[in-house]
Order: sequence, then C-alpha cells, then structure tokens
Amino acid sequence: MIKISNLEKIYRTEEVETVALNKLNIEVKEGEFVAIMGPSGCGKSTLLNILGLLDDPDAGSYLFNGIEVAHFNERKRAELRKHNIGFVFQSFNLIDELTVYENVELPLIYTGVKAADRKSRVEYVLDKMQIMHRRKHYPQQLSGGQQQRVAVARAVVNQPKLILADEPTGNLDSSNGNEVMQLLTDLNEQGTTIIMVTHSEHDAKFSHRIIRMLDGQTVMENFLA
Amino acid sequence: MITNYLKIAWRNLIKNKTFSIINIFGLAIGLASFMLIALYVVDEKSYDKFHVNAENIYRINSNIKFGGNHMQMAVSSDAMGAALKADYPEVLEYVRFYNSSGSKLIKKDNEFINEAKVAHADSTIFDVFTFPAIEGEAKNALNEPNTVVITETAAKKYFGTTAALGKILEIKDRNNTVYTVTAVIEDMPRNSHFHFDFLFSMDNVDYGWGNFVSHNFHTYLLLNPGTDHRQFEKNFVQYIDKYVLPQAQQFMDVASMEEFESAGNKLEYSLMPITDIHLHSDLLVEMGVNGNIQYVYIFSAIAIFILLIGCVNFMNLSTARSANRAREVGIRKVLGTEKKSLIIQFLAESVFLVFISLTLAIVISYASIAYFNDIAGKDLVLIDLMNPGILLTLFILPFLVGGLAGTYPAFFLSSFQPISVLKGKINQGFKKSHLRSGLVVFQFATSIILIISTIVVFLQLDFIQNKKIGFNKDQVLIIQGTRVLETNADVFKDEVAKMNGVKSASFAGFLPVSNSSRTDNTFSTEPVMTDKNALSMQIWNIDYNYIPTLGMELLEGRNFSPDYGSDSSAVIINETTAKLIGEENLIGRKIYKNDGNPGAFTPVTIIGIVKNFNFESLRQNVGPLSFQLGYNKSAAAFKIDASDASDLISNIENKWKAMAPGMPFSYDFLDESFDQMYRAEQRIGKVAMSFAILAILIACLGLFGLATYMAEQRTKEIGVRKVLGATVPSIVSLLSLDFIKLVLIAAIIAFPLSWWAMNSWLEEFAYRINIGWWVFMIAGLSAILIALATVSYQAIKAAIANPVKSLRTE
Repeated sequence: MIKISNLEKIYRTEEVETVALNKLNIEVKEGEFVAIMGPSGCGKSTLLNILGLLDDPDAGSYLFNGIEVAHFNERKRAELRKHNIGFVFQSFNLIDELTVYENVELPLIYTGVKAADRKSRVEYVLDKMQIMHRRKHYPQQLSGGQQQRVAVARAVVNQPKLILADEPTGNLDSSNGNEVMQLLTDLNEQGTTIIMVTHSEHDAKFSHRIIRMLDGQTVMENFLA
Repeated sequence: MITNYLKIAWRNLIKNKTFSIINIFGLAIGLASFMLIALYVVDEKSYDKFHVNAENIYRINSNIKFGGNHMQMAVSSDAMGAALKADYPEVLEYVRFYNSSGSKLIKKDNEFINEAKVAHADSTIFDVFTFPAIEGEAKNALNEPNTVVITETAAKKYFGTTAALGKILEIKDRNNTVYTVTAVIEDMPRNSHFHFDFLFSMDNVDYGWGNFVSHNFHTYLLLNPGTDHRQFEKNFVQYIDKYVLPQAQQFMDVASMEEFESAGNKLEYSLMPITDIHLHSDLLVEMGVNGNIQYVYIFSAIAIFILLIGCVNFMNLSTARSANRAREVGIRKVLGTEKKSLIIQFLAESVFLVFISLTLAIVISYASIAYFNDIAGKDLVLIDLMNPGILLTLFILPFLVGGLAGTYPAFFLSSFQPISVLKGKINQGFKKSHLRSGLVVFQFATSIILIISTIVVFLQLDFIQNKKIGFNKDQVLIIQGTRVLETNADVFKDEVAKMNGVKSASFAGFLPVSNSSRTDNTFSTEPVMTDKNALSMQIWNIDYNYIPTLGMELLEGRNFSPDYGSDSSAVIINETTAKLIGEENLIGRKIYKNDGNPGAFTPVTIIGIVKNFNFESLRQNVGPLSFQLGYNKSAAAFKIDASDASDLISNIENKWKAMAPGMPFSYDFLDESFDQMYRAEQRIGKVAMSFAILAILIACLGLFGLATYMAEQRTKEIGVRKVLGATVPSIVSLLSLDFIKLVLIAAIIAFPLSWWAMNSWLEEFAYRINIGWWVFMIAGLSAILIALATVSYQAIKAAIANPVKSLRTE
C-alpha cells in the first residue's frame, strides 16, 4: 500500500540545516498495523506528516497504492487525503466551537457527502465508539478519553484505508489509553491499515511490526505477532 | 517597578508592530479629526462675541407676507431705529448700515478699484459695536458728511501706512464724492458676521428718508442690559399701528392691521441676538454668507463618531491582544504580584499608548489643517486649540480612552488563577466577544451612514447643477461694472456683440443668481389697491435681447420688441405671477404698478408670460417676478461660443481699456456664479466625503487587526479543518463570513438612520432628489467589499499556511 524509497526531508533555518529524514525506505502492506518508535527529534512526526500528505518530501519517492504522490500539489494531496487517510493526534485536535456530532461530521462535509447520509454515518460511528450519548456536548465538556474517542470517530467516519495516529495515548491515562488502543486494533482487524507513532512500548505491542528510527533513518524493525 | 512596566510596555509595542501601528495610528486619526472639527465648531460658535456689548445687541428682522410674496428679511426701514429709540427707554442706541449699491469704485493713484466691503453707517456704530481705532478717535468719526472710517488693511492698501488720518478717498459715483479719512480701525475680526473695510458717513446716502414701509437698512439696537428681547418684541404691534399703518394707508385701501392680516398678509418684526446671526440666520438681504447651525451639529457628530471609531479600535485590539499577555500575568502572579499592581500596569500601559497617539494626532492636525481650511472654507489656526474646553477634553481623553481600553484586560486578566493562566486555558473567553462584535457593528454602521450621506449630498449637488432651471447658464459671460462706461456703454456692448464668437448681447443688471441686484415693487390687479388685490413682486429692467441671451422661454405672448412703440408700458410676467392673478388669457390684461408715490398707480399691459426660472437658490421656490423694458447698465451679458473664450475675453478687455481707462475690468461666467450659491453644500459634501474615507480607513484598520488576531486564534482550528480536507476557499469564507455578518447588521442599522438624516437635510431644498434604494445598495456593498478585502488578506494567509506548523505547536 505504501512504499517510500530514499525519502529525504531537510529543515533549514538561517544558520542550521537539520536533516529530518535521511534516505528513508519503508514499505507498509495493506491491512498492516505498524508502530514507529524512536527518541524525540528522530524524524517520526515528519515521516507521519509526509505519509499523511500534509507535507512534501525534498527528495525520494512515495508510492501510495502504486501512485507516485511525492510531488503532488496541495490540491491533489488534499483530494487524496480526505478520501483515503484518517488522522488521530496526541492532543485530539477537536474544534472547540463544534459539538461532538459536528466534529465527527466535518470530514463528510469536506468530501461532499449528502446531509441525509451524513447523519446515519456519524451516528453509526458515534455508536460504535460508545459516545452517542455525548453527541451534543462540546469537547471541553468531555474527559480526555472521551475526546480521543471522538477524534478516532472523526478519523474513521470516512472509512479511510489508512489511519495515521500520532501518539494517540500520549495525553491519556492508562485505562483510557488502553481503550483507544483497543479501538485501533478493532479497526485494524476490520481491514484498516494503521501507522502509529508512539513513545510507549506498551502501545507498540498492539501492532504487527515496530519500526525504530534514529536521526532520520530506520535502525531496526521488529516483527511481532 | 515602573521601569519594568515601561520596559514591558515598550517591548510589547515593538514586538507587535502591526497591532501597535493600527492601534496608535487609528486613534491618532480619530483624535486629529476631533481636534480639527473642534476648532471649526469653536470658531463657528465664537461669531460676534468679541463686541463688549454682544449680549445686548440685536438686529431687527422683518417678516412680510404681502401680495403673494413672503419675505423674511434682515433689513428694516430707515426710520425704525430712531422711532424705537425715541419711544422706548430700553433702546439705548441704534445703528444702521446701508450698502444697497453693493460696491464702490475707489480711486488709487490713477486707477479705480472695485471695493465690495463698503457700507454707509451711522456714527453710533462705535457706541454699539466694538471696533478699536488705531488712528484717530472712532467715536464721532462719522458725525459729518464726507467722512470715512477705514480698516488697517484698507489704509495700507491705499496709503501704504496706517497713518491715514485726513487723507482723501475719491469715489466714482454720480458726484465723484470725496471723503476724508477720520479714523483707522483694526480689521474686523474674522468671526464677525459682517466685514467692511470702508465705513462711509450715512449723511451721504441719497434716500427718501422717513419711510416706514420700505425696508432697506440693516438696523441694530443696543438694549439696556437685562432687557428681555422677547418681551420687548411685543412693542412692535404698537409701533406698527403708530408708524407703519398710517403710511401704508396712503398707498392702499386698508382700515386696520386686523383687516390686513385677515386677507392672508403679515407684517412682523423680531429681534435677533447678534451672537445668533451667524449660525441661525438665513434671511433675504443678509450682510454676508452666514454659517448654518445644522452643519455645526453635523460636523460635531462626525467628530465624535470618528473619535469613537478610533477609540473602539483601540479597545477592541487591546482587549483582543490581552489574551497573549496571559502568561506574563501568570508568571507575575506566581512571583507574588498583587492584583492591584497588575491592574495599574495594564491601565498605565493603555494610557501610555493613548499619549503616543495624541502626540501623533497633533502632528497630523498640524499637517492637514491647510487642507481642512480649504474644504471647510475657514482660516483656522492650531493655536486656537488653546481653548479651555478643548484642552480639558484633550487632557482627559487619554485617561478616559486609555482607561476604558485598559480596564477590561486589566480586571479580566488579573482575576485569573495563575495556574490556569499558565496552562493556557483562558483563551476561550477571548475568542468571541459580543461586546467586540457590537463595537465592530458600531464602526461600520457609522461608516455606512457617512458613505450614504456623501453620496446623497453629491447627488443633490449634481441634481441642482443639471436641473432645468428655466434659463441657460452655460457659456454666458458677464462683464461687471459697465455703468462706468456711461454714455459709451451701448457702444461697448454693440462692439463686443460684433466680435467673433459672441452670439448675442444684452445689458443684465439683474441676474438669476443670488448676490445680483433685486428690486421689489407693488402692483395691483385693479386700479385701486386693497390688501386683497395687491401683488408684491420682483421687477427687473431688461432690454430686448435679455430673454434670448439668457435662453429663457416664453410660454405665451411675445418678447419686448422695438417694433412696438407701446412696449415702454408693457410687462412680461412669470408663471408664478400668472397663477397669483389667477385668470385665463392674461395677454393684453392691464395690471397697475405703484411708482413710489402714495396712490399713484400706472397701468401696464401684460404682453408675455415667461416660463418660471429659478432666480434664487433652489432652496426656495420661484417667487412672483416681472420684466419691464428699461436699462440697468450695471452689467452686460454675452452669450458666447466657449471654444476660444480666453482670446475673446482678452479682446473684450482691450476694448474695455480703450473705452474706460483706469476702470477695473471684471468678468465672470454665469454658471460659476450659479455654483457659488451652493458653496455651503459643496463644502459639506467634501467634508462628509473626507471624513467618510477616514472613518472607513480607521474601521478597516481595526478590522484588519481583529482579523489578524482571529486568524491567529483559530490557527489550530484551521489546521484541523485542512487536515480533514477543507479547501482554501472554504477556509477563507469561514473566516470572512463572521465579519461580513457584522457588516450586514451594521448596514441594517445604518440604512434607516441615514435615510432619516439625509431626508431632513433635503427638506431644506424646494427642489430636491429622492433617495433611491440603489444608494443604500452601493453603500452597503462597498462597505462589505472593503471589509472583505481587509479580512481576506489575513484569511487567505491563514488558509494557505501549512497545517503541520499549526498542529505541531501543541
């Protein structure tokens, strides 16, 4: 599903040049659950952003479902992204001014789903994430675990093939964290490919494979399961 | 501690350059506008207060409704002042001005100069008014005939020195009168409602003295201090019965004032305090162009609103920005700062900013006062700001505005628990504030009202300038002062008529623009005049070519013609007069003209009816008027082909110089004189436009600041939306829509208010436009477009930013 080769990303400020990704090669097959680990600054967030088509690489190739997307322009990336990729962030990134229901509905609006269909699909995922009773609340009124469940609901409502999770349990206590990890595992079992960046060995154990990074390169791969 | 506060204040200023500039600059423009308009208002209100007796001087106004004519005049009869002084002890003194001839030709070296600031005055002028003498003694200076009092300016102009006592001024009039300068006075102050450079003795006026029924003199009374002038006016009934009625009865069959009034007529006098004249008097035969209290109100309102808009920006941006200071507040609190000192810090900072604005405002006013003087028709100087009222306002304002702007953040931020501030949890409360939205609505409503007012004023001016006024004012060249050509006047006119480019020529002492000569006369429709058949109307002496030269239209009958010997006893009347007579088939009918002597009426035959033409400002309806054949050679009118006007004028000037050596040549175009009548309206239009632009500018500055702030605040939200697939246009419209909504609400508030305001302004005009709905559309749409342009810059900038950056900050 995903094949990146010789991927490079360099950040430049006036004085310093930081190599975030250094000729990186990774392949992820459809249906896989991959965890990416490594110390702060190793380039894992940069990698996730590029995989999520939020950022473009400086060099190298990125094949998404066999299509070269490394040099897609902003509009094409957005188009591909909204139909195929869901995101879960450490800090949830829910919109404070919108209710739970409206937050989850948002991706459907942007992909042009009709209002009638939106209602049933939003309600379906809210039900599945067990936050249906909270649909009229605002994010601040929810606990962290509940917020992250809303974020996951939002990520999956469009039925993306790929979910990118950036430390999804980083802001949660262990029981809430486990709940979220269980959600992701369930999604994976239903066929969604998941790539997750994490600091937690515990969370990483939910995945099939762990890719360890250092200084913008993969240093080790462990196959679990 | 203070240095620490100032350091932080200064660094905040530098760090947020955009906000600082918007804040300071917006408020400075508001303050500068306020200062300039305050100067204007103070100046307008200061008129005639410089007289020591200002509180006890009154002008007699006349209100006469007679023979279909209604005249409210600033003049009264020659004998009225003396009669009142003799009969009522409250009248300490009276003084009259007579300047019906308008201007005088005064000899300087070998040339005559046309001087317009001239009048004959009673010697009591210096007992009533305060005009200090520089040379000689003003009191008694005009006691003798052939004396003249001149101002410093006139003395320097004619004699090169103010030491002009005993010097001689020769006037070009019937007798070539010579006057001796008996005093030199200071120039009349700018804020006097009349300005004369030459005051001639009243004894030299050739007039049928003792006439109570003709009103040709500006009369001012000095009343005993403490006299209630409204109470005193009740004496006028008695005065009319005693003096006016007996003389009127010699002309007209009327038994009493009751009978006179029951026929729909009116004769009333009133007293106007001299300090009210400039702003409240708009009568016939004023001594000069007065101001208008309405414009003072309008200007004051504009000043206050612009200042408010500036202050609103300041408050809006200060409060919006204060959220970013939350961390600083948290840390200060953790370090043990008391709430009180935090409040003081924020207030002091705010006041500090206002003082910077005030300094900048003074610089801006200094730089723009010349332009303001130009559009407002004033000679204001900034030093007049040293008025206690203005100074006090300017001193209090920084504390008020700074206080208001600083209070909200000061109390809001300082009341937070340091822990929640430090954790950054307080941003919520700042994002959407109804108060802030309300203030933006206020700003835009004000701006829209100003835009609509500007459009309406210019539409009305355009309407006036292009209205069918019943004569053709274009390409009519008026040569003034042709009377001095004496017997050569006809030769001059005929020679000019033969020049290339001249289509027709006529003497035109009477012209259908204000500031031209006027003569009222009394007619009656029957041989014996009663209070019911009287006709009071303008009677203009014209020659055969007058009607074609000015492009007037005859509806019935014919023009005067040399082919008819009987035309010397014929009249052409206008439509209004025809309606007043109220009969069909008027051609050939006789009406009766009073020739100035009691009971002496001459029959004249109506030979034509001219289509109504506006001979006064379009603020007034067309009154009754008639033409008779005669010559008033004080000016000549030429219909010309304007393609080579400058050549033609220099040819005419050469002709003039040959025929009238030493006499001033002056000309103007009829359409320009016509436009002069609407100077006040043109001014209000320019002022409204200038301040509308400023208001919009300041409001947009504020909106730009707010949009920047909002975009910053919503960075995360925008990032999330983009990750979820939002397009750039959808983000831009999301951000812009909030502001557009506010502008729409502003428009809804502004429309009825401006409709009401401009309609009441238009009421002043007898001929006026109706405000079309499209005026509101244009104003509303332009406000929305301007707001959109302002906001969209920030919105687009936010929308195209990479969401990765905004989400990374967490």
